[in-house]
Amino acid sequence: MSKNKKKFFQILLVFAFLGFLGILINNLIINLARTGLGFNFNWLTKPASFSLAEHPLPYSPSDSYAWALFIGWMNSLKVIISSLVLATCIGTLIGFLRVGKNSFFSIITAGYITVIRQTPLLIQLMCWYFVGFLNMRNNSFLSISNIFNISNKGIELFGLNLSPEFSALLFGLSIFSSAFIAEVIRGGIQSVPLGQWEAFRSLGISEKQGFFKIIIPQALPAFIPGLTSQYLNLAKNSTLAIAIGYSDIYAINDTIINQTGRAVECFIILLCSFLILNLLITKVMGIIDKSIMKSGI
Amino acid sequence: MNNINPNLNTNSFQKLKKFLLSKSKYNFCNFIFFVILISLIFNLLTWIFINSNWKVVTSNLNLYAFGSFPIDQQWRPTLWFFSLLSITFITVYGPKWNWLRKNLIFGWIGTVPLGIYLLNGGLGLNPVMTRHWGGLTLTILITSCSILFSLPIGILLALCRRSSIFLIQKLCSFYIDVMRAVPLIAVLFFGQLLIPLFLPVGLEIDRVWRAIIAFTFFVSAYIAEDIRGGLQSIPNNQIEAAKSLGLNKYQINIFILIPQALRVALPAITNHLIGLFQNTSLMSILGLMELLGVSRSILANPEYIGQYIEVYIWLASVYWLFCTIMAFVSKKLEQKMTINKGY
Repeated sequence: MSKNKKKFFQILLVFAFLGFLGILINNLIINLARTGLGFNFNWLTKPASFSLAEHPLPYSPSDSYAWALFIGWMNSLKVIISSLVLATCIGTLIGFLRVGKNSFFSIITAGYITVIRQTPLLIQLMCWYFVGFLNMRNNSFLSISNIFNISNKGIELFGLNLSPEFSALLFGLSIFSSAFIAEVIRGGIQSVPLGQWEAFRSLGISEKQGFFKIIIPQALPAFIPGLTSQYLNLAKNSTLAIAIGYSDIYAINDTIINQTGRAVECFIILLCSFLILNLLITKVMGIIDKSIMKSGI
Repeated sequence: MNNINPNLNTNSFQKLKKFLLSKSKYNFCNFIFFVILISLIFNLLTWIFINSNWKVVTSNLNLYAFGSFPIDQQWRPTLWFFSLLSITFITVYGPKWNWLRKNLIFGWIGTVPLGIYLLNGGLGLNPVMTRHWGGLTLTILITSCSILFSLPIGILLALCRRSSIFLIQKLCSFYIDVMRAVPLIAVLFFGQLLIPLFLPVGLEIDRVWRAIIAFTFFVSAYIAEDIRGGLQSIPNNQIEAAKSLGLNKYQINIFILIPQALRVALPAITNHLIGLFQNTSLMSILGLMELLGVSRSILANPEYIGQYIEVYIWLASVYWLFCTIMAFVSKKLEQKMTINKGY
């Protein structure tokens, strides 16, 4: 395509796109006018008038919608970070067992990974919540001298009380993500050339020491991109909290839409909060990646 | 080179034998875990066959499969299932006739309109409202429609993202990045809410179709990224060679780039399509009577109250089965599409 033609085409495209956008926005304005809502963010300062079961910061129904949204964002962040840590621990363990020499464990973990990956997260979450936590008896199911306690009121750990919703979400998300993380770990370890294994074996270094001192440091850079995308998926999957009644950012948006009918504004808010979350995760992983690179491995 | 573990090549029976007879120092530990596993499996089996009550599944099989589809019309979804099954079977095990292989893709594309026609009725069949669609039928319909729509859109987006025209490239990148940043449930929910708002007054789209549109929007962004990865893996000299043969831009894209990119991206695309199939369960939150939605309404029935475990195990195995079939078909396709088998 010649340059002039290209320019002409581009201008034509701009107009076509703007025209299309104009039609859409026109429809939107007409439809919003019909429902009598309009487009503004003034409602954010009005009292929310719904209560939240879980709030890390003080909250009451007379607080504003904006504050409720922020609490929801904090709740999301809480569950994302804690399941991220747990999922990484379980996933790493499973990944190690999967590539390990012990064929018994490698069969078991392969089964675990297939079963977890091939069933929907929503069903797993509901299973954890309705079968796992709500089905438990009132008295504690597992209790170790008031330190650790699992019952239908959730998990109690060192006096820290986790609600059943939070615990179910935590377990569901961690177990689901751990299967994917295990695959990332396996891929990373297998990306280290076999010669490295033979080299440390021929140097007389023990299997355990060789694995942790020679293989893992080389596999670490290969873990990072896969882990980042799994963490982003985990953050997005945490919105399924609405199915089990945990008030995360999406659930609160949902409540607000039901109350006020402001779908467009809420969509923009949700979009922004997820862009911030994703940015946060990507930045942190970028810092980790850089520090790994810097440490000279 | 990738095999760290020499055992990976042997089959599972040999593995078991080796594990039971090996003299490694982990053997005792292995043995204990083996006993625990056996006892777990034994407990599970006794629970499945003796303690559990499968009436909630067996007496509602019709509901799980078809939802509230009129009973005298249920041969229609059944026929569609059989056509899907047969075309899957032909794809995997069918004869290697060239004309068949070439036209198989049209068969696959044809299953979707066939399914819509059979479910929707009209043209000689009794029309059935979309609110009567449900169960596994609806799950498969949403999945297949979304796949059919999102593949071409994904390819188009991937090509546009590499376009030399600045505006197209930026717009597509923006769309893909935004879609990949938002959770699916939000896309589905706002799809239900916002699509009617953007349409002219008087034009209404059904809930099922809104869901399919939202799924298409979402999945096409992911597919576009997969295909972009495939396109990047094609060496530049392929394009140069095609240019020197006198092919124009569109011919290069259609005959050279896209087939190769699809072949490379197939595993990743399959993963996303399997994810799509699993994620149709999210529509149950938004009140559609697909497989999980039907199950939730069955569980709300006082007759079956509290029988969560049976229903969830049943659902998980249905989803697992279909996902495994999809993965299997894609693996077979991959083998069939591989060129240079000699290497």
